Amino acid sequence: MIAEGSLILFAGFALLLLIGAPLAIALGITGTAVILIEGLGIMAVPTNAYNGIAKYPLLALPVFVLAGMMFERAGVALRIVRFASAIVGKRRGGQGVVAILVCLFLGGISGSGPADAAAVAMVMIPAMFKQGYPKAFSATLIAAAGSTAILIPPSIALIVYSVLVPAASVPALFAGGMLPGMLAGLALIVPTLYLSRKNGWGNASDEETPRLWDSFKEAVWGLLAPVVILGGMRTGMFTPTEAAVVAAFYGLFVGVFVYRTLDLRKVYQVLVESAEISAVVLIIISLAGVFAHAGSTLGAFDAFAKLLLGFTGNEALMLVMITVMLLIAGMLLDAVSIFLVFLPILVPIMLTYGWDPVWFGVLITMNMAIGQFTPPMAVNLMVTTRIAGVSMESTVRWALWMVVAMLLAMTLVMVFPQLVLWLPRLLGY
Amino acid sequence: MSDKPDTTHPTEEAPRVPVRIEEFFAALAMALICCITFANVLVRYFTDVSFAFTEEFSIFLMVVLTFFGAAAAFARNSHIRMTFVTDRLPVKLARLLEYVVLALGALMFATMAWYGTFLFWDDWQFDTTSPGIGIAQWIYTIWLPLLSAVIFLRIVGRLIRFSRQVADRRAS
Repeated sequence: MIAEGSLILFAGFALLLLIGAPLAIALGITGTAVILIEGLGIMAVPTNAYNGIAKYPLLALPVFVLAGMMFERAGVALRIVRFASAIVGKRRGGQGVVAILVCLFLGGISGSGPADAAAVAMVMIPAMFKQGYPKAFSATLIAAAGSTAILIPPSIALIVYSVLVPAASVPALFAGGMLPGMLAGLALIVPTLYLSRKNGWGNASDEETPRLWDSFKEAVWGLLAPVVILGGMRTGMFTPTEAAVVAAFYGLFVGVFVYRTLDLRKVYQVLVESAEISAVVLIIISLAGVFAHAGSTLGAFDAFAKLLLGFTGNEALMLVMITVMLLIAGMLLDAVSIFLVFLPILVPIMLTYGWDPVWFGVLITMNMAIGQFTPPMAVNLMVTTRIAGVSMESTVRWALWMVVAMLLAMTLVMVFPQLVLWLPRLLGY
Repeated sequence: MSDKPDTTHPTEEAPRVPVRIEEFFAALAMALICCITFANVLVRYFTDVSFAFTEEFSIFLMVVLTFFGAAAAFARNSHIRMTFVTDRLPVKLARLLEYVVLALGALMFATMAWYGTFLFWDDWQFDTTSPGIGIAQWIYTIWLPLLSAVIFLRIVGRLIRFSRQVADRRAS
């Protein structure tokens, strides 16, 4: 019974995904089919679909999407780019470093990679092109740096991880993602500077560098946003959801009264778009609840985990195997979807080896981040190449540099769990 | 996998019932979630009183947001899906698969609407009250079948538009 049901569950899901079914439908239909065939009680379908999303921690997801979009539409990205250019000034590879820093910073406001990458690509790619950087390179760099948004708090992916693995709280995960996120971003600086020096990019411009003080005055409102979000959570004043709501209202205030970039119509548009983006993710989580119910009642996930554990008893080798598997999955799917599909299988393995749930969550999120800009199916690269007007193939020669740099950063996190665990422990989560 | 709607069906007509209806309700739910939570923060900050029990209502609003938003996304074909394989198949086969996928989607939400009705009926008959605010639970659960039905109709609508578009291509 376990074998038959598990086969329908996993093979059915893979088949539906291949023929182009929306992920939510693929999860829901295979879950429902197994529930019917194995006689697990059909009422589990509506119950689990409802309970799959009716969870308080998940409420932070739509609101962080809203807050991120509010800041983006208010024009925060543009002003931060100007401020960062003023700091870095004109030197070889300067604009490349600016792009990385801005992506890291915006990752502290928005929680999803593609949105972060799109905002920066729109502003930076034309500016970098003027200074001699090839468009394919800029697109790759921004896609790579933008992927850190799912590591740097707030992060949609880490919220979903916490919902699936309640032992890791959202504040602990957020704190844990901070250093690895920075590390991943800073790792990109090395190949950027090396390539810029080698190819002589970055000082062929007659554009004026913005004045430091002026650009700071403009950007300070945006610079304060992560302080509001993380500071509020740190002092225990807000839950993550409340922090997101406060950030959204702060973004609204800045957009309407300070920058005067938002009017009623734009605010409505932001509400509509962020609601729809959230809904697309939440409906997957809802129907993944049906899939997870079918799989865990059958014991399919445990069986699969045992199968993997049977391959090797070596802890390090297992970790490498998981990493390779997730890297490949990360090229095809976005982080949240991968968590929903793979975590039920990975959690028993995590428990077997006694891995720290916060460390493991951050580590596999880092994995997802790398997948987001590894050709040929990378979500972030799709966004930035579309904006740059270059082909996906043209980015391969640059993407490899970035992938290697971030893989090295990930290896550090893998070998030294303290990089993740130090900050949450310091803050007492 | 792409976050953008696929561009392989650019000639598909817009739905006759405007998607703006679902958009409006999804946006409204989002705005209400923010206002309730923000009010809670303010009240707690200034008065030491917490009305955290409203969490239950915010969570319900999130469910509403999800289903309205998902309905709009189904009408627009903007759900997350992998088109890597189907983009490389012969047109006829890809079309056939699109029919299969749409039919499966309709089946999924028809199932949810049908059995969701029983869920609602249980709460109604046994006068279940909600754990937080203590109001009748059916006020929440009735929306599951109703909104599943909305999504079902949106998918059927796209199925019809898709078949019309295929017929038009054949004719021309």
